[in-house]
Amino acid sequence: MRTRLPALLALTTVGALLLAGCTTGGEATGSATPRSGGTLTYATGDAEPTCLDPHVGGNYPQALVSTQYLESLVSKNGSGEIVPWLATSWEESEDGLSWTFDLRDDVVFSDGTPFDAAAVAANVAHLQDPETLSSTGYLALGKVTGVEVVDAQTARFDLSAPDSALLESLTQPWVAMESPAALERSQEVNCESPVGTGPFVVESWTKQDRIVLTRNDDYSSPPADADHDGPAYLDEVVWRFIPDSAARYSALQAGQVDVIDNVQPDTLVAAEKDDALAEIDAPRPGAVNRIELNSGKAPFDDERVREAFVTGVDVTDGIDSLFFGTAERSYSPLSSVEPLAYSDPSLFEVDVDAAGALLDDAGWTERDSDGYRTKDGERLSLEFPVSTNQSIPAEQSLFEQVQAGARDLGFEVTLSPLDLSSWYGALAANDYDLVSAPYTKVGPDVLRILYDTDGITPAPSGYFANLAQLSDPALDDLLTRASETSDADERADLYEQAQKIVLESYTVLPLYDQQNHYLARSAVAGVRALPPVSAVTLYDAYTVG
Amino acid sequence: MPAPVRWLVGRLVGALVVLWAVATLIFFAIRLVPGDPAEAILGGPGSQASAEAIALVREQYGLDDPLLLQYLAQLGRLAVGDLGTSYSLRTDVAGLLLDQLPGTLLLAVLSLVVAWLLALGTAWWATLGGRVAGAVSSSLEIVASAVPHFWLAGVLVLVFSTQLGWLPPVSTGTPLGIVLPVVTLAIPVAGFLGQVTRDSLLDASTAPFALTARARGESRSGLFRRHLLRHAALPGLALSGWAFGSLLSGAVVVESIFARPGLGRTLLQAVTLRDIPLVTGVALASALAYVVVVALGDLAERAVDPRERAA
Repeated sequence: MRTRLPALLALTTVGALLLAGCTTGGEATGSATPRSGGTLTYATGDAEPTCLDPHVGGNYPQALVSTQYLESLVSKNGSGEIVPWLATSWEESEDGLSWTFDLRDDVVFSDGTPFDAAAVAANVAHLQDPETLSSTGYLALGKVTGVEVVDAQTARFDLSAPDSALLESLTQPWVAMESPAALERSQEVNCESPVGTGPFVVESWTKQDRIVLTRNDDYSSPPADADHDGPAYLDEVVWRFIPDSAARYSALQAGQVDVIDNVQPDTLVAAEKDDALAEIDAPRPGAVNRIELNSGKAPFDDERVREAFVTGVDVTDGIDSLFFGTAERSYSPLSSVEPLAYSDPSLFEVDVDAAGALLDDAGWTERDSDGYRTKDGERLSLEFPVSTNQSIPAEQSLFEQVQAGARDLGFEVTLSPLDLSSWYGALAANDYDLVSAPYTKVGPDVLRILYDTDGITPAPSGYFANLAQLSDPALDDLLTRASETSDADERADLYEQAQKIVLESYTVLPLYDQQNHYLARSAVAGVRALPPVSAVTLYDAYTVG
Repeated sequence: MPAPVRWLVGRLVGALVVLWAVATLIFFAIRLVPGDPAEAILGGPGSQASAEAIALVREQYGLDDPLLLQYLAQLGRLAVGDLGTSYSLRTDVAGLLLDQLPGTLLLAVLSLVVAWLLALGTAWWATLGGRVAGAVSSSLEIVASAVPHFWLAGVLVLVFSTQLGWLPPVSTGTPLGIVLPVVTLAIPVAGFLGQVTRDSLLDASTAPFALTARARGESRSGLFRRHLLRHAALPGLALSGWAFGSLLSGAVVVESIFARPGLGRTLLQAVTLRDIPLVTGVALASALAYVVVVALGDLAERAVDPRERAA
């Protein structure tokens, strides 16, 4: 985690000193210590959630806002260790088929319902009920068969198979705990005003405009790595939806809002010159942003052609120039925030001549009048559908550079910018050779979702996650064993072997971490990204000056 | 049938045909987009919905029925005024529209008023201000009608919010917050209205009746207000219906940029999520507003031009 909190604190101090210089009294220096009160306005560029209960569906916009009012059983700290939250301790059974959690006995949901083992059971049942229409949380609890209430403060998760990822799954906001009494209401009502144990409470939601969150004065359950205890400092949080990136930045500069997310590379560079703004760089966990090569059909069913593409097209220079140095090149299938991420830069050294020789070797020896390679009269063509919802403008420009680089090698790359529905449609129809699809999940188990043979079989909706269409029994075996072992060292070793296989298959061209930058005005301090999914938390935040 | 009644009946039938055509077009067009409506209901594209959930939704929403049957059922519901339930927000579409319509109508109506003021102002200046004014205003009109909303919005924010600090860059709910969105929407429309108004104004000012009026001792501004304006406004009024339509579509961009709640943003979100009932609802509401405004424009034309009333 590369949170730039020290920078934020330094800026705050500088601001306070400047203020002190301007005023006659010395009061302003007192702002260096957190103080209660005030309103913070947060502007998000993510889509407005359609439901504020992250059990329903389960996407990142929901995770961002629900982090302010819902809490999970466990969390993760900056070093990637699981830390207590609503659960104080936990134990895996000998056979790995059940996990027992001891729960805090002094926590109450903001509607007065006590938090206990029955509440945990009700939440898991809610997530697994088809009528809830949960996808992310439902998948995270895939191996959980049910929750047994051992006693009021002890809950036992029963599993169909050992799950080394269970704790990591439970850190995620999509499986956060909600008041069972509130869950009893209709989904429509619960979507408008979910009830949790978090530091803030959903006060109102004006669609397309704002969500108003007010302080939960009885709050007592921060995660183990929080900066303080007791209720939040802020009286109120106004959560605004400002989809346009430039408008978000203008609003921040004008002081209309205090914190913004989805900050684009050009804005980050501009903000660096502004002393009144501080950056928080919090890459998302799970998979790295990468281009995947569809090994399920020609021409990438030939490993030589894949290797030629991956080692013949330079992306590093493009990343540096298009992201202005704000994104670091990755050589791992996993995000850099994953402690078990394995990198191998040597596989991605660019050698255009060697790549050309590989293509010659694979039979793509002729060139047509446009300069593209051909084999048996067939042009070496690649389809690259791009999701304009998920790829930011800088990334789309990078893909254009990839297109140009591939052209020199003799590949014809057709970039098709598509809206989300059409993009998923193209993937479901197997109409792609190259694709970039982000995937956020806590822990290396994301590798099983993305590269296990099972991931090639489409879900009933047509969705499948193994877009590289990698099918390797040895890899499947490693991933299964890694997900079932309870030995930490063995798990690390198995995931390293698995990542080697993925990288050496040349089905993946890693680019950079899933970018997640926030900017905060120096009028606020204590804003931090909560490690599990790097969503911002405003629990420790306070106003300055 | 007396003329006004015939006019009204004609308008009503026309409006119904327009609404039916919009409903039909949307129903079939949205199904051309790849993807499964059941998926849209289950949290949007790429949702990893389980087989049970999908089966449940398909049955609940009648998605397994033949398309024609779904279409007829849809028309039947619309005929009795039932706009259905939004797939993504799971609430009543009619209620959502009632929440969002006033904001967009206010934006569009204010923009239309401002556009008319700008257009008449430049047209007046062009007519009375001699050759240079004519050339400058006609260039201004061409530029104004050609600038895209997103660019204009960016420039206005840069000047009036970031540099001068006079106006908020995103909507605030206070009257000040609507200024930049209105100006952004009004300028391109003013460009178009100004062009047609100025042409007819110039024609009218050289017509014999203008000379006669001047000979009678009418002042230049009196001539403009009492005689020329009536002639000059006619083509512009006829265009107001079109202008309103373009303001509604412009609202999609402008509401997003200025973070203003309204129908435009609702539509954008609904299309992205393939929320069929919501897309249909917004399209019908916009079509209805358009039909009403065109009818009002027609009435205004009749009021301004006595010849229309005789017809």
